Amino acid sequence: MFLQQLVTGISVGGIYALLATGYSLIYSLLDFSNWAHGEFAMVGAYVAIVFSTFVNIPFLPAALLGIAGGALISYGCEKVTYRRIRRNGAPNMFLMIAAMGLSNMFQQAANLIFSGQYRSYPFKLPVSTIKIGTAYIGVLDIISLVITAVVIVILVYLINKTQFGLNVRAISCNAYAAKVLGVKVDKSIAQVFLLAGGLAGVAGILYGMKYNVFPTMGNVGLKAFIASVIGGLGSVPGAIVGAIILGILETLVSGYISSSLRDLFSFTLLIVLLLVKPSGLFGVDVQDKA
Amino acid sequence: MKKVIALLLALVLILAMTACGGETAPEAKDPASDPANPPADADVIKIGYVSDLTGPTALWGTAGQYGAEAAVKDINANGGVLDGKMLQLVPMDGKGEAADSVSAFKKLVEEHKVVASVGTNFSSCNIPMASVADELKVPVLGTATSNEQVTVDENGNLHPYSFRMCFIDSYLGTVIGNYAADNLKFTKAALFTVAGNANSESVGSFIKDAFEAKGGKIVADEQCQEGDVDFRAQLTNMKAKEPEVIFVIMNDYAKTATFAKQAREMGIECLLMGHDGWDSAQLAGEANGALEGCLYVSRIGFNSPDAKAFGERISKEYNIGMEAECLFGYDGVMWVADAINRAGSADPTAVRDALEATEVFEGLIGTLVMDPATHNPSMACALYECSGDSFTFKEIVEAQ
Repeated sequence: MFLQQLVTGISVGGIYALLATGYSLIYSLLDFSNWAHGEFAMVGAYVAIVFSTFVNIPFLPAALLGIAGGALISYGCEKVTYRRIRRNGAPNMFLMIAAMGLSNMFQQAANLIFSGQYRSYPFKLPVSTIKIGTAYIGVLDIISLVITAVVIVILVYLINKTQFGLNVRAISCNAYAAKVLGVKVDKSIAQVFLLAGGLAGVAGILYGMKYNVFPTMGNVGLKAFIASVIGGLGSVPGAIVGAIILGILETLVSGYISSSLRDLFSFTLLIVLLLVKPSGLFGVDVQDKA
Repeated sequence: MKKVIALLLALVLILAMTACGGETAPEAKDPASDPANPPADADVIKIGYVSDLTGPTALWGTAGQYGAEAAVKDINANGGVLDGKMLQLVPMDGKGEAADSVSAFKKLVEEHKVVASVGTNFSSCNIPMASVADELKVPVLGTATSNEQVTVDENGNLHPYSFRMCFIDSYLGTVIGNYAADNLKFTKAALFTVAGNANSESVGSFIKDAFEAKGGKIVADEQCQEGDVDFRAQLTNMKAKEPEVIFVIMNDYAKTATFAKQAREMGIECLLMGHDGWDSAQLAGEANGALEGCLYVSRIGFNSPDAKAFGERISKEYNIGMEAECLFGYDGVMWVADAINRAGSADPTAVRDALEATEVFEGLIGTLVMDPATHNPSMACALYECSGDSFTFKEIVEAQ
């Protein structure tokens, strides 16, 4: 039974991880929590719904268009909203307030356009399962975990081994110094929003395949935020580890204690961490963060 | 200049508002011009009908009105009530709103002198109407009003003049629990409900009571939160207890489908059973085979031959879709007519007594067995079974 709960926890944490890395990337550059990030996932999921259901194109290209949709909406928010706020010299708090507004706006828009109804992709995997020891894991979960792992490996490579990654790391250390040294800060930030939005798009489509698509699905972003705080805001590996820890914790609490207490435990963990180790498991100095 | 324009605009606005306000809601039709309603005279007995005849839910209200009109036609064509007295239906728009429904009911009683009134289909309207009915001493018959407080007040005291024609939310729980124990011979069951959802928790507790009263055992009693989409932690616990059936009491078809898929993915093969929260054309397809052979209990709707034929008659006669409310409208008038005949009088208090004394009423909505202590009827229900991409009617489950 414990093994089963562990497997379930990892599967739940996998989705959190994809979103948490996006939170961390943006936080590492701009020192603010992008509350609209969960909604980028929702937009990506709906774009895939529109193409696969209304336009009737095959699911795989529709999913790719959904990922592109998540990336573009994220890029658009940076270009139209966040960049302007930064240029006005406004404090980071303004970015967070704008993000909350965007989050609400996207949810309301989805409600208006698609209604609150649950929607699912026409592509359906047969309900099948694989037995590992005494635990069962769904085929969709395995596919989802593999995709998550591949995407995260690519992300870690991009951050650590490419010029783009070097620019991002330079900006996250000191944006002003990076700019003086010739790094195009705005361009790099826009690229990070594209990347984070794309990751959110992947998360949104996987989430939609597992649990359906609905306007408030972006609320899962809150859990991803907790995961990124556990791991250490601004740290991509931290976000991944934090997400898996949170997924397992939630499943164990639901399974062994009560699902009513699940969120209580998650938020208590968040507060305890902020008190005891504010930098999280992998984070650097976060005096000014979150 | 600006002032002149402002004045003109104000004038246009006032005119527009007056024009809109002039549109009146449908009320009592001129009896002489309506074949369903004979000319008013001393030999005519009036029955009221209050429902949402305009507004976003008017589809239900008008369907109920058409059903009630059909009943009046049928009764009058067969010689009326009390040896030859004709019935007349007086419909009145309650707009689906509590205040409008109360006003409509008062008007029916005070101006039109109805002996009883059928409708509405909303608990929120019939709860305040119940107290007014007690004051005016004219019976009111709610149709799809399933909230307990339609017939009893918050302290559990009966509203003597308020009746209903549907079962209360929790009644289905008793039917499901009994069916699982008696018909399916299960002895070990798991229960899954949504914490904080009154309907889910109430139906769940009635299932538990009924199932355990028959000697069964609820081996796992798990809950989720509203908004949850992953149920595998709770399913793991249920699986460990090896239930023969899991009662899945969620009011959201997409989540029920997700629950079923996750259960099958975890190797749980037992039967899943549900209540009317499963009533959705999308559920079976969404579950993608995970609910094959599973069962739920709900209203009979158009699944009896008589109800189906009547639905088709109303649909053809009035050019509307098949709405179950037309069955309630028809049965409401039929039940009042039956009470008038049994009372031997069209006095509202005598009609009330006869309604309360109804032992069994056989209508299009099924068999209705009245409980005089609560005015909550026990009714026959329908069992639906998942087969492929849809649920199909399996059998009638008699009133408990």
